[in-house]
Amino acid sequence: MTAVAHPRTGAPQSAAEALPSGASWGTVRTVLRLHRTALVFWTLAVACLSGCLVRLATVTADDERATLEACDRAGQDFCDTTVSDFASGMGLIGLFLVYSFLAVAAFAGGSLIGREMENGTAHLAWTQGISPVRWLTAKLAVPALVLTASTTALVLVYRWAWDGNRDLLSFEWVGEAFPSRGPAAVAYVLCALAVGALAGVLLRRPLPALGAATATTWALSFVLTLYRDHLWPTVTSTSPTSGDPYLPGTAWQVASGALVHGRPVPDLDYSRCEGGDAEIRRCLDDLGVTGYYATYHPESHYWPIQLVETGILLTVTALATAAVYWLVRRRTA
Amino acid sequence: MTDLAMAATALGKRFGRRRGWALRDCAFRLPAGRVCAVVGPNGAGKSTLLSLAAGLLAPTEGTITVLGTDPASARARVGYVAQDKPLHPQLTIAETLRMGAHLNPGRWEATAAERIVAAGELDPRRRIRALSGGQRTRVALALALAKRPELLLLDEPMADLDPLARHELMGALMSQAAQHGTTIVMSSHVVAELEDSCDHLLLVGRGRIRLAGEIDDLLAAHTRVSTTTQAAERAGAAEAVAELPDLRAHTVVESRVTGRQLTALIRPAGRLADDWRTSAPSLEELILAYLRNPEAASLTPAAPEEALA
Repeated sequence: MTAVAHPRTGAPQSAAEALPSGASWGTVRTVLRLHRTALVFWTLAVACLSGCLVRLATVTADDERATLEACDRAGQDFCDTTVSDFASGMGLIGLFLVYSFLAVAAFAGGSLIGREMENGTAHLAWTQGISPVRWLTAKLAVPALVLTASTTALVLVYRWAWDGNRDLLSFEWVGEAFPSRGPAAVAYVLCALAVGALAGVLLRRPLPALGAATATTWALSFVLTLYRDHLWPTVTSTSPTSGDPYLPGTAWQVASGALVHGRPVPDLDYSRCEGGDAEIRRCLDDLGVTGYYATYHPESHYWPIQLVETGILLTVTALATAAVYWLVRRRTA
Repeated sequence: MTDLAMAATALGKRFGRRRGWALRDCAFRLPAGRVCAVVGPNGAGKSTLLSLAAGLLAPTEGTITVLGTDPASARARVGYVAQDKPLHPQLTIAETLRMGAHLNPGRWEATAAERIVAAGELDPRRRIRALSGGQRTRVALALALAKRPELLLLDEPMADLDPLARHELMGALMSQAAQHGTTIVMSSHVVAELEDSCDHLLLVGRGRIRLAGEIDDLLAAHTRVSTTTQAAERAGAAEAVAELPDLRAHTVVESRVTGRQLTALIRPAGRLADDWRTSAPSLEELILAYLRNPEAASLTPAAPEEALA
């Protein structure tokens, strides 16, 4: 009969009700402390990528321009411009930026939710005066804020590096790193967070949840990349048989082929039309070819496609978030 | 009904359709201020019952009331320590207690937590992952006690403590109950562990409440009877004992015939025949008799005709 001999402090309940903001701040601090390692790692990664981007956009880009100018001044016949450290660096960082959602999905499914469900520390929080719904809100809101802020910052730095040095970039505006210059990059990480949380609550074990979350989000990004050209209506230009259809220099060509009696046929085999001009003409006439066409996205479609992709991702995010709240509400009192 | 710490009516919990009911048709009332033992074999549904009371699970059917309200609303006033004492392994003891303070604004009493930790001679800078099972139990109990709960739910709290620590922590719990009128509900499958400190009993067996009430009342409601008369011969088999004219009026929980000796544990419903020898059963005998005989009628407030005097 040694310890605990303290009079109960007066009206603890009313004090708790009077301090809702204190409670939220305490919860936020708890979440930050619990995931300090992940936070430190993420901050380092973001800082490292930003640093690399700044160095690429200033030092590397200037060096490369100086080399090119020197090469031009010297009037050399052969200047090797195929290997560009700047372009390959931008491509690599763009990929890191886009696929960082895989790390986020793994973190959310594994360490953020799944591990807490498995070892019972979620239950510990729920019996420490914080309701399961508020626990979930803190667990989602704190990483969501950190991820939104850091990814937005990275996207802005990436855009700055990109826009200032377009002369050194030969690759197209669409490519694997397409989402890295717009809101889609932020939507990808938020979607990964929500899907990871859902997997964690659903499977209640970190490793299966980690696997399921990364696989699901990767599959989603794969499908979106595959069907990205369908996210916005394409432009088609046609030409008579005497010429080629018009394509802007930066166009993203989706399809091309021959027009048979005015209708586009993408896989018409007109390579067997050989010989002189007259022979080819007759052969094409026999096939009914009246011209050629090309279907493409002009660069002005960059934003519409970005926004449609962002919208799809945010819809998935909202659905996953609603599902995880529904699950937690249904399971607990 | 604010004088009730816990009450359940027709409470049931099923985990998935295939795994069947973990708990069913549970009804009991636990008055505030009691120290209640939840006893039962492994897998009987003790942990499920405590999780339902703590608001960690939603009941499949029926209701459970905690401190006069639903478990979700009572959350801030209820302390809970799970069987495996979950704590964040990456935190130090001091950080764990700080987390408790953050999550319980306005209720947290840091000195109480620090005292319990200090009594175990634990360095607050040590990480949870470096602690032994017993030391983790101490930290988990400190977390639950420092929020000054009105109801404390402990699932197998003493399982991995050495006798000295068990005695000391039990003392801390009892003094908490005495000082603040805290209702303590603790589960165990070791009856002896709880017999000295508890005054109320919930016996859980196969997902049902078998016995519920004050331990003294429960003991007083049961009698051990034995006889060596022809009654034993007439009964022949234990199954027929309940049909004996002398016993038919009473509820027979358990009976055994060995040679000319007949012994039974009964709930007498009136005077017993004079040729029966009677004695008071021990708590352990009572509990074992009910657990060995799942078909024996349960004694809970759900059966009002059995209401205790």
